[in-house]
Amino acid sequence: MSTIVRELDVPSDSGSPFTRLANGEQLEAIVRPAEGIVSRRIFADPEVFAMEQERIFGRAWFFLGHESEIANKGDVVTRQCGMDPVLLLRDDAGVVRAFLNSCRHRGMRLCRTDRDNLRLFRCPYHGWSYNTNGELLAAAGEHHYGEGELDRGALGLIPVARLGSYHGLVFGTWDSNAPSLEQWLGDMRWYMDIIFGRTGEIEFVGVPQIWEVDCSWKFATDNFTDNFHVFYTHQSLVELGMLPTDPDFASHGHMVTLDNGHILHFVQGPPDDAYRGLGLPKELWPLFDKHLSPAQAKIAQTHGYSAGTMWPNFHWLQLITAGDTQAPPIGILNLRLEIPITPTRTRMYSWFAIDKDASHDYRKLSYETYVRTFGPAGIFDQDDMENWEECTAVARGPAAKRYSLHHKMGLNRAPDPKWPGPGIGYQDSYGEMTHRAWYAEWLRQMSRPSALAAGRAAR
Amino acid sequence: MSAAAVSAPESDCSPGTPLYGEILEFLYREADLLDCNRFSDWLALFTEDIRYHMPVRTTQVLSSGAGFQQMAFFDDNIHSLRTRVRRLETDTAWAETPPSRTRHFVSNVLAAAAAGAGEYAVTVNFMLTRSRGDQGYQLFTGRREDTLRRDSAGQLRIARRRILIDQTVITATNLSVLF
Repeated sequence: MSTIVRELDVPSDSGSPFTRLANGEQLEAIVRPAEGIVSRRIFADPEVFAMEQERIFGRAWFFLGHESEIANKGDVVTRQCGMDPVLLLRDDAGVVRAFLNSCRHRGMRLCRTDRDNLRLFRCPYHGWSYNTNGELLAAAGEHHYGEGELDRGALGLIPVARLGSYHGLVFGTWDSNAPSLEQWLGDMRWYMDIIFGRTGEIEFVGVPQIWEVDCSWKFATDNFTDNFHVFYTHQSLVELGMLPTDPDFASHGHMVTLDNGHILHFVQGPPDDAYRGLGLPKELWPLFDKHLSPAQAKIAQTHGYSAGTMWPNFHWLQLITAGDTQAPPIGILNLRLEIPITPTRTRMYSWFAIDKDASHDYRKLSYETYVRTFGPAGIFDQDDMENWEECTAVARGPAAKRYSLHHKMGLNRAPDPKWPGPGIGYQDSYGEMTHRAWYAEWLRQMSRPSALAAGRAAR
Repeated sequence: MSAAAVSAPESDCSPGTPLYGEILEFLYREADLLDCNRFSDWLALFTEDIRYHMPVRTTQVLSSGAGFQQMAFFDDNIHSLRTRVRRLETDTAWAETPPSRTRHFVSNVLAAAAAGAGEYAVTVNFMLTRSRGDQGYQLFTGRREDTLRRDSAGQLRIARRRILIDQTVITATNLSVLF
């Protein structure tokens, strides 16, 4: 008789109350990344989702936007930092800032458009207004406030606790005790150099595509480090001749796990120059040597595809595909972000980016290819959402929640000591080392008391 | 009767004219092809130089314009439309396998002669309902701006389609249905 249910059925009386669920299960018992065990419970369960609010979305570093999206003074876009709405803007002095998108008076959402160019932010409710530095300029009916009742200097917009950027990618965190962005990204920066710095600078084109899917944010996140779904999920494109007929085609490469849960893949494509140099046109390849170290440039030169996750929910996809059955394969750079709304609903952001030095023709073809293949209408992407929704729907069931998912591929595979970059590299891009590294960080963060809770305990 | 007098009725496509009726019937038949999953027949309604375009919309203040941006959900030519349709005809396009059940409603149809010979600028409001599996409805609404062109055989074809969707955040699994 099958005893698969037992793998999650671990005595839990010894665990910390901090990671104990209401049914007595311990998170560390039902999520055992080193063994490839991840309970289905963590995906659709409101209790786990509530725990994620402070422990993950209250303190990780989150991607907010790219500096090219707010190129001019006064440019503002409305985004999320974790699950909280923020204004990402360039102030009158040209400095990039991020504030909670909320008036200090009644908490009204201050900016209710997706993008704008503003000199000041005036609250629709009572007219409190702020400059682009976040300082409160004026409150309504100021002469009705008595002495000491309105401390204007203390009522500026609430900034994210820390803000940082790397290659123009702006990140923020609500945790004032968080490590610096440099420390937190750590060795991931070496790989981000390859993706975002290979030809000098990249820029985001236009606005993100945004849509909401009835799925757990973690199923989407899980998918962005998963190369072996491509052949099966995107089978229709194999049938149309837009993907190779060899199921192992996306396995020829390496995956890398890094500290802090950052994970990535570099994959070679078919032996053809169209599938080298990250799919960029050959005239841009000499820039690799100019902007990258020799080891980084060699990786860019010899690989076609890359997928990376900056923990927890921001991803790059550097891909080569044709936009239709008649078109040539070409490189596209896609950036992805998942913002959870409920345990089973997630807002997806998808951006298209391109090298600033790219020619007009390459830019146009890369854009067309991106729109036709990725985003909610993309002939690749639309099938992925089907998986995320259905995995989530099934994970809601009380019986299903007793079972683990299977993340054991490559559990016993030794690292490749010859991988030339930082982190632990593994040969063969089909494996679940990167998935396991992601869940290990998830468990580490879920087990770590928040600064707030630690402070409370100290008092 | 002069040539000008003969061609004059052909450019009048105000409601109640034969041309308006022809355009309306064309739009209804097109919608029916989609709702009956006759995608190849639907594809035959497009010209070789079709641009099928759904720009991404953003929320902006009125004075900043309608908010259609330099990014799109769809930006197809005839090759990529054909690829979409061929994909739908495989049994492995999982987003539509099993298929959605759609209803394409078009209303508020206005037509006018366009700049090109035999071309008509047609605007409609659309509502597209999608029911799939055992899930609730997904709803898409918006304005569509079509350019219809009479081909050499006298048949109307779609030469340009601009789909101005109302939502800035698409509240749907994906956009695997056609507009």
